[in-house]
Amino acid sequence: MTRLRCAALSTAGVTAALLTWWMPSATPTAHALQTVDNTPLPSVIRVAIRENNPNGEPDPRGRIVWVQTVPFDTYCKDVLPNEWMPGWNIEALKAGAMAVRMFAWFHHLHPVTIDGFTFDVDNTTNFQSFRYLSDQPQTNRAVDEVRKFAYVKPDGAIIELNYRAGYENNPNWQYRNAQKMAQWGSEYWAEQGRNWLQILQFYYMDRTLRQITS
Amino acid sequence: MSKWMPSKGQAALWTGAVLCALLSIPAPCPFNGGPQRAAVPTLAVPTGAMSEPDAVSPTAVPAADNTPGNRSPAHPQRPSTPPSKRPPTGGAHPNHPTPPTPNRPNAAPAEPGSTHRPSVPAQPPSAVPGTPVQPPVGAAPGATPAPSPGVAATPGVIWPTEKLRIRVIDGRTLQPLPGAEVVLIETEQRAVTDRNGYTPWIDAPIIRNPRYRPMVQELHGQLGVIAYKNGYRDSVHLGIRMHEGARSEATVWMYKIGPGDTRIEPVLYQVPYHHLWLIQLADKFRSKTQPGEGPERP
Repeated sequence: MTRLRCAALSTAGVTAALLTWWMPSATPTAHALQTVDNTPLPSVIRVAIRENNPNGEPDPRGRIVWVQTVPFDTYCKDVLPNEWMPGWNIEALKAGAMAVRMFAWFHHLHPVTIDGFTFDVDNTTNFQSFRYLSDQPQTNRAVDEVRKFAYVKPDGAIIELNYRAGYENNPNWQYRNAQKMAQWGSEYWAEQGRNWLQILQFYYMDRTLRQITS
Repeated sequence: MSKWMPSKGQAALWTGAVLCALLSIPAPCPFNGGPQRAAVPTLAVPTGAMSEPDAVSPTAVPAADNTPGNRSPAHPQRPSTPPSKRPPTGGAHPNHPTPPTPNRPNAAPAEPGSTHRPSVPAQPPSAVPGTPVQPPVGAAPGATPAPSPGVAATPGVIWPTEKLRIRVIDGRTLQPLPGAEVVLIETEQRAVTDRNGYTPWIDAPIIRNPRYRPMVQELHGQLGVIAYKNGYRDSVHLGIRMHEGARSEATVWMYKIGPGDTRIEPVLYQVPYHHLWLIQLADKFRSKTQPGEGPERP
């Protein structure tokens, strides 16, 4: 009798576990695809400021000191001169401005929490190099000229446009295969006469340019 | 009695000795028994080639290695930079037939509209608080004076110039500070901020650190400024990036002196190097056997 009761109890337990595993949770969450059509451009972005190393440069492994809320446009203008060289061709700067914007937009939609701080990006090369009030006239112009556009997947999904330094005077084909833009490569192609959209199309395949309505 | 006739070898020796004496060739001559000189690296260039204009001299710096393995050749300037913007390494300049003397670092002539005020110890009247802010002579706020051919911030070297303006703000309120005097350290140029906190556009040199020239030249020049204003700590702002072909701006934070400030010293802010150049510098000396973590990873 006792053996039968134990068998019945174990069977019920297994069944309950299976039901728990199979049944959806009590509070279902909807994960709608965040596209450029249903997602407005962020107005601000939360930037974690990491402490500087002894030389006064932000340390990618330093502790987070505070989180600064920056207007999104200001953030892009304060990142671009620290990622691209302001003396480069304007087409390379515009391609870089688009990458910086889409990178920031994607991470604004996917914030992280580290050491109790919730933020979108930090000010180091963990994300993008950011120095407050370091904008330059030439890079500001590049950011302004791509403001109305977004470079997304064909279905409009907002993606992270990633980039790396690359090599000077080189088309940097290897970065194209990795779906990353080479910063030096953008300058190379701009000097070859390509515009910013052609540069983006070279490094990011199967992406499309969309106009932002919001 | 046979007549003495020199052999072929002896005739060659005599002929060589006579030629050495006549032509006074400085190269060691094995025939005259003189002291052997130290080995001097000479190039085995035919005599005819040396008369060509582009002949390589023994003291010439080797050309940059453009092999594919060397991705960051020691270039004196960015290749995309037009030749007209390249800084000459000597004192000779097309617009400056006489090179600047070392005792006069500000050898560039002051042009109308520029803010060149070399070695003026007294403050300009506009820097006095309470008086209306007057821009420097001939330079209205936002004015763009004619570009000067170069500034001799380094004795014997005339650097190319580009436009620069400084914005001075309060470090706590982030409000613009009018009437602050900004001194460009390298050229001693002085400018005063307007009511928006901006100095006029000035012609500032693009100075690259000569230590790195043979290796990986810096991608941007670096300058330093000092901002002075009554009631505020002096602000020293070093490492301002200057680029060929692009105007530059820099923001200087100044901090108000409070009643609790008993030790008042300048505030330093150092602009870090651009990380693209740091990548180039590290990549330049990467050995093939110890590749480390290069820029291609991940």
